[in-house]
Formats: sequence, C-alpha cells, structure tokens
Amino acid sequence: MRWGMAIDLKRCIGCYGCQLSCKAEHGTPPGVFFARVLKQEEGRYPTVRQLFLPVLCFHCDDPPCVDVCPTEASFKWPDGVVDIDAEKCVGCRACMMACPYTQRYYHDEEQFYFPGNGPTPYERARSQRHEAGVVMKCNFCRDRVRAGKQPACVANCPAIARYFGDLDDPTSEVSRLIKDRGGYTLHPELGTGPAVYYLPP
Amino acid sequence: MSVTSGRYEQLIQDLRAEVRPQREWIERQGLLLIVGHFLSGVAAGTWLFSLVFHFPAGLAVAYAIAALSAAAHLGFLGRPARFWKMWHARSSWIARGFVGLTLFLGGGVLYLIPIFLSASPWQSGSLIAQAGYFLALAGMILLLFYKGFVYSSSKGVPFWTSPILPALYLAYALRGGVAALLVICSFNGINLDSSALGLLELWIGISAAVMILFYLGVMSGSSPIEQYSVRELLRGRAAVSFYVGTLLVGLGVPIGIGLTGLGAPLSLGAVALVGLASVIGDFFVKYSIAKAGIYRSLTSSPHWRDKSAAVAGVPPLSVKP
Repeated sequence: MRWGMAIDLKRCIGCYGCQLSCKAEHGTPPGVFFARVLKQEEGRYPTVRQLFLPVLCFHCDDPPCVDVCPTEASFKWPDGVVDIDAEKCVGCRACMMACPYTQRYYHDEEQFYFPGNGPTPYERARSQRHEAGVVMKCNFCRDRVRAGKQPACVANCPAIARYFGDLDDPTSEVSRLIKDRGGYTLHPELGTGPAVYYLPP
Repeated sequence: MSVTSGRYEQLIQDLRAEVRPQREWIERQGLLLIVGHFLSGVAAGTWLFSLVFHFPAGLAVAYAIAALSAAAHLGFLGRPARFWKMWHARSSWIARGFVGLTLFLGGGVLYLIPIFLSASPWQSGSLIAQAGYFLALAGMILLLFYKGFVYSSSKGVPFWTSPILPALYLAYALRGGVAALLVICSFNGINLDSSALGLLELWIGISAAVMILFYLGVMSGSSPIEQYSVRELLRGRAAVSFYVGTLLVGLGVPIGIGLTGLGAPLSLGAVALVGLASVIGDFFVKYSIAKAGIYRSLTSSPHWRDKSAAVAGVPPLSVKP
C-alpha cells in the first residue's frame, strides 16, 4: 500500500479550491500552505496561455527531508505518507532546505489573519492547536483518509482534477490514470520518487 | 502594519516570484545559525592548532568559542528545550554536529581541568584526562566536517548541493583556527612561532581563495537556479558581504599582508590584523553563501514546462535569472 495522487492538468482551472479547502480543513496559520496553485504565463502575444501547477507535499519514496531531520520528527508511515511529529520537531528547518519541492513551512510564532484583533472564533477552534516553533506540511489529510474519506483537496476540487488512491494497486483509478495518460512527476532527475503525479493536459 | 504581517507579506511575495530566496537560515533567528556554524569551525580549528603547537591558552579559548557556538545554535532553534532529542538521528548531519559539539564540550572539560586547575581531582596524564582528550578530538573532527555536509545535503537549495562546499568549509575552519591563534598570541605578546603560523595562514588563505573561485566557476556553469545564486553573490543581495567581507577583508588583507611579510618578519600588530581579517572573512563566507541560497523552482521542472507548453502550442521558456 502506498498512497498517491494524480492531478489532471487538463481539468485544473486554477480556482484555488484545493488551497482554500486545505486551509479550512487544517486551520493552518498565516504563512503556512499545505496546498498551493502556481500560475505562470507562457508564450508571446497572441499565442499565450496561463498554466497552472497545483502543488502539495509530494510524499517522496526516498524523502530527503526525513534523512536530514536530526530528531526523526520527520518520518514516513508504512503507507508512504511523509509526516511530522510536532512533539519531536526542534525547529531547525533542515527539512525545509532539503525538500526539493519547497513544500514545508516554518510556523515561527502564533499569528492570526487579523493582526491586533486576536484570533477569530474559527482560528480559536482550528488554528490554535498548531504548535509554534516547528515545521508544518501536508500529510495527505491523514485523519480523513483513516476515516475512509478523501483528502480535503481531492474531495473539494470542483473540476474533479485530483485522484487519490493506492499506487501499489495496478487496478486503482490513480494507477490506471497515471499509466494510461502518461503521468509524470516533477524533478524526476533527483531520484526522490514522488507519490504525486501530473497528468498532462 | 505589525511585524507579523510584514513577514507574511514577504513570504507571499516570495511565493509569487519565479525564484524564492531562502530566508530561514539567514534572516532574524537564522543569523544565529550562521554565527553558530562560524564559531564551531573556529573552535575546532583553534583546538587542533593549539594541540599542534602545545598552546594551552588556545585550548581554553577554543573551548569558550565552542560553548558560545552551542548557545548560538540553541538560540536559533524554534524549540531549543528539545535539543537533547538530536541524539536519536543517525543520518542527519545536524545531529552529527550536535554529537560533535557534545563530545567536544564534554571531553574538553575533562582534558582542560587538570591543565588549568592545580587542585584537580585527576591529573593531566590520567585516564580521565586521556579519555577527555580523545572525546574532544572526535568532537573536533565532527565539528570540522559537519557544516559543509549540512549544506551539501540540502537538496532544496541547488547552490549548496556541491561536493566542493564541505571542502571549502573545512578549509575555512582550519583557517579560522590559525587566525584565532594569531590573534590570541599577538594580543598577549606571545611568540608562538608566528612565522610558521603566518605561512600556514597564507597557504590556507590562498587555498580558500582558489576553492571559492572554483566553486563559483562550477556553479555558474550549472542550472539556471545555481546561476541565479551566483548572480545574487556577485551582483545581488549577497554582493556587499561577499566583496567586502569575504574577498577584501577575508582574503585580500591577510594574503596581502602575508605576502609582504615573506621578506621581513611581521610586527605583532600586523599578525593580529591578519588574524582578525581572516576570522571576519570566515564569518562572511558562510554568511554570503547562505544568503545567496535560492530554492529549487518547481515551474522550471523540465517535464511540466515541456508537456504543458507543448499542448499550449507555444515554445517553452527558460527560467530567466
């Protein structure tokens, strides 16, 4: 069993639904983004196009972030999900420097979206559980997946551009899509073996 | 606008940019890490050359510098109270550095106490002192090497992932040790074979200069992100510290004075200047290289650009530094 994701770039409309649903699910503090959408313009007038690249932790098979962690706070679950034990993290940020996909964020101090006004009721309920002085990242919505649900970014994608499943099962939807559509990973030359694939447009 | 929202705005600006500079290991608390790395290198180098030249005062200074380095490292951590958890990891160079610092501080005190304290419960040649000597020696070796490998194992910052960097940081640690000894000797008016130390300093200084040039040469011929980092070093955010701190003060002054001193013996003041300039240069080389660090770009991944742009019917663009 190895959890993985395929993101269909043909379907992605760059709506930021994944980014917002992730924020809502995890209550991540300002400056911490488990999921993001990168946008870029290519070409020259009149042949131009805006390209979207939704990104999140790639849950590498050989994660450099785990190797450099001095306290083993960064670790890999048996199902392939790379996670952080906040209780062990010393906040050295070596994992941020080691992650070739820059998908880790340092939560340096407790902060809120409306500085000077204190936490909103939502932040009080969702954000204050996150420890300050530690690094944070996506964990494929581990609690949701264990409860039999899809990760928030997958469940809430309005364009149905995300597929989540077992990469080790050749009959799973995600495996078939990657095979049939020629799914690829980012920076394969690094040999990290990401579990997030992109389906070309 | 509060400081918090200022940091937030900075991050958002960085995330929107094509290339994102690393700020965690250089700005605000991050500066303490650079200070810690610098001090640990100087401490290890000073210990090594104090042993070579049988100079107990140098050993004591090296120990004090290492203690300061430990404090700087702790000050950098987001959760310093958990530092002891670093014993567990085996593959992490930061953990190895922590082990090295612990061995050095633990062993060093066992070795130094009988040297400086006549009423010590154990003597200099005793088993405890010998154990301290070897523990400190093992710690010193780890301290000499770990920094370079911490950077070179950072795959997220291509400018650092070079095998030259550990060699460069080792050279600078050795140089920092010689420089610290020169400063200690000249300020105390001690004649500790200063001509030999001066020659050693000159040799390591020239080696470091060659290594920096080699490093920059290799990096400027690498990927666009590494080239961008080289530009940051030569013309961007890190340029002032690189030209003034690393090249002029750190290499120009010591090599210049060292070469003039080949003909005639240097005064104590000149020796002190060489040492101080070298130590300052040691700090700024670490500062400049850390500041020029740029995260790997995701949108520059060849697969994504080529495949996406191919469908769009437009030629893929290269990352513009």
